[in-house]
This record gives sequence, C-alpha cells and structure tokens, in this order.
Amino acid sequence: MQPASQTNGKINLDPDNAEHGLAQLVLTVIELLRQIVERHAIRRVEGGTLTDEQIENLGEALANLEEKMEELKEIFGLDAEDLNIDLGPLGSLL
Amino acid sequence: MDDLVYLYGLIPMKEAAETSIPAVKGFDGKRDLYTIPIGNITAIVCNLDSQEYSEESIKERINNDMEWLQEKAFHHHETVMKLSKIFTIIPLKFCTLYNNQGSLETAVQTNETKMLAAFDLITGNEEWNLKIYSDDSLLKKQVSQNNPTIEAKRAEISQLPKGKQFFEKKKLDKLVDSELEEEKNKVSEKIHKHLKEFALKGNVKKTWSNDVTGRKDNMTWNSVYLISETKVEEFLEQIQQFEKDMKEKGWQFEATGPWPAYHFSSLS
Repeated sequence: MQPASQTNGKINLDPDNAEHGLAQLVLTVIELLRQIVERHAIRRVEGGTLTDEQIENLGEALANLEEKMEELKEIFGLDAEDLNIDLGPLGSLL
Repeated sequence: MDDLVYLYGLIPMKEAAETSIPAVKGFDGKRDLYTIPIGNITAIVCNLDSQEYSEESIKERINNDMEWLQEKAFHHHETVMKLSKIFTIIPLKFCTLYNNQGSLETAVQTNETKMLAAFDLITGNEEWNLKIYSDDSLLKKQVSQNNPTIEAKRAEISQLPKGKQFFEKKKLDKLVDSELEEEKNKVSEKIHKHLKEFALKGNVKKTWSNDVTGRKDNMTWNSVYLISETKVEEFLEQIQQFEKDMKEKGWQFEATGPWPAYHFSSLS
C-alpha cells in the first residue's frame, strides 16, 4: 500500500529515463560502501590504536568523500531518501 | 459440513431485545447478519461456507491477495463501526471464526463474566486514539540550540583540524539524536499523563513506521483512551490546545474516534 513515488526507496528504472535510474542505483551502492567505511573508521578511531596523524588523515579523507557525495547527489537531483532501498521484511538498506 | 460462524461483536442481550440490528450483508457479500442470543449476551454473526472460507484459504488470501484483504478488512471495520453507533459492543478482531454455533456458544458461556465486566467498562464511554507526529529536523535544531553542552561542544569542535573535526562531528550528531529521542519521549509522556486525567484509561501503543503512515514526519506517540462521553469534548479541547501551542515547533496531533472499544474490551 505504498504510494508509487520516487521517494519510497524504490529504484526507478523507467526505460525513457534509464540514465537517471542508473545514476540512482550506482550512487546507492557508493553510499552504502561509504557508510560502511565510515562506520568502520569510527570504530578504529574509538579503538584507540591509531596515531593522531592517522586519525587526521582518515577523517579528512572521509570528510572529502562525504562532500563529494553531496555534490553528486546535487548533480543528479537525488536526496538521501532516494539512496535508501526498501528491502521489504529486512527493512531499509541504510 | 456446518457453515462457519463469523463473529463481529457481542452486545448485551437487553439492547438486542430493544433494537433490532440493521440489515447488513455479511462477510461473503451474500448472506445477512443475524443475532444469536446466548444467555445475557447476544452475538452478532454471519454464516460462511466452510469450503470456501477454510482456515488455509483465508490465511492464503490474507497473505497474498491485497485487494481481497483490503475489501474484507474494510467490510469488517465498517460493520463493527455501524453496530457500535447503535449498541454497546465488544468488537471482535478481523476474521474471528467459529466452526459452528455450538463452539461459539461455549466460548461465550465460558467468558461470560469477563464479557459482562467489559460491557460495564465501556457503557457510556468512548475509545479515542491519539497520534503525535514530529518534524525531527525542526526539533533537532531546537534541541541542539537549547542545549548548552551541545553548543559548547560545537564551538570546541570548530577549532579542530578538518580530519578530527569529522569524527567529533559524527559523535556530536549521535549525541543530538539521542537527546532528540529523549526529548520527544519526555514531551509525549507529559502530554499522555495530562490527557489521562480526562480519561478512565489510557494505553500506549506501538508507533507506526513511515511506510505505514505514508507521511514524511515521524510518528512519535500512539495511544488510546477510554473516555466518558461527557468528557470527550474537554479531552479534544486539550489536544487542540497542545496543537496550537506546539505546531510551530514541529509537532502535530491527530485525534480520531470514537472507535469501537477494541482496546478496552479485549477478553484475553
């Protein structure tokens, strides 16, 4: 009983609009990986085994990645919800 | 084989004797609703073909036939709603079926005391539902602005180099999120406590996800109240006042009713 809108977490692979659907799919995968890397990095930092310099480098890289992601979303006209696939009984992807 | 008996609700025998039930088509859309008197209690039922409506076939359709489910759930709701406007009714859950009239009678007889107590409880009272929604991004701003610890932390972080800033920001975001949840609960609980003063009973229910509500804002609170008919107006005025005071801050209130007393006449 979900409304068939673009924001319900479903990937829109409309034949006339395949480019956009593909961009959405690719960005969804990238966003998933980015979040996994981010969470892992946070765990490493909190684990206390990294040097100050390592933390700084890691943080800067992740911050840049996050910025880049925002830019890409902007370019393709997508927001955070569009990159979250509904996995049915498993909940949503992100 | 006997027909199955589909039970919509139970009403006091006295009320059944005074007023006859409206002519309504039953669950299969063909046969009419009718009443079965069982001592002090009258059951409102319809018959169903046991071949067509076996337990397996109903389960199968509930799980796989959305259109059927929607139509039948609507029928059940509409029927119980209509009856609740006329009678003091203990509403039964969707698809409450008995193998035959005998098994229904036994079930009613064994639970008679509980059922009569339920009638006493709901007579002259109404069930109302309150759902509270919140615009979390708006509330989040308020939480972080009004919290000196968070403000101080934010200032401290802005002095850090970019990489460290990233991790500290993430930590702070988490803190704001948990503060937000705490704040939402605190506010909702306070409202619930206040509203309970106007009600005989008030129960907290599970909130629904946005998939179910189809809304952008999140459901923060979901509760049901049993309210004396004379107090309903006052109760609703309170909610309107909350809405008026808190709307700008990102809160929305949705009160619905009167409902058949599903939550206050449960026999289990």
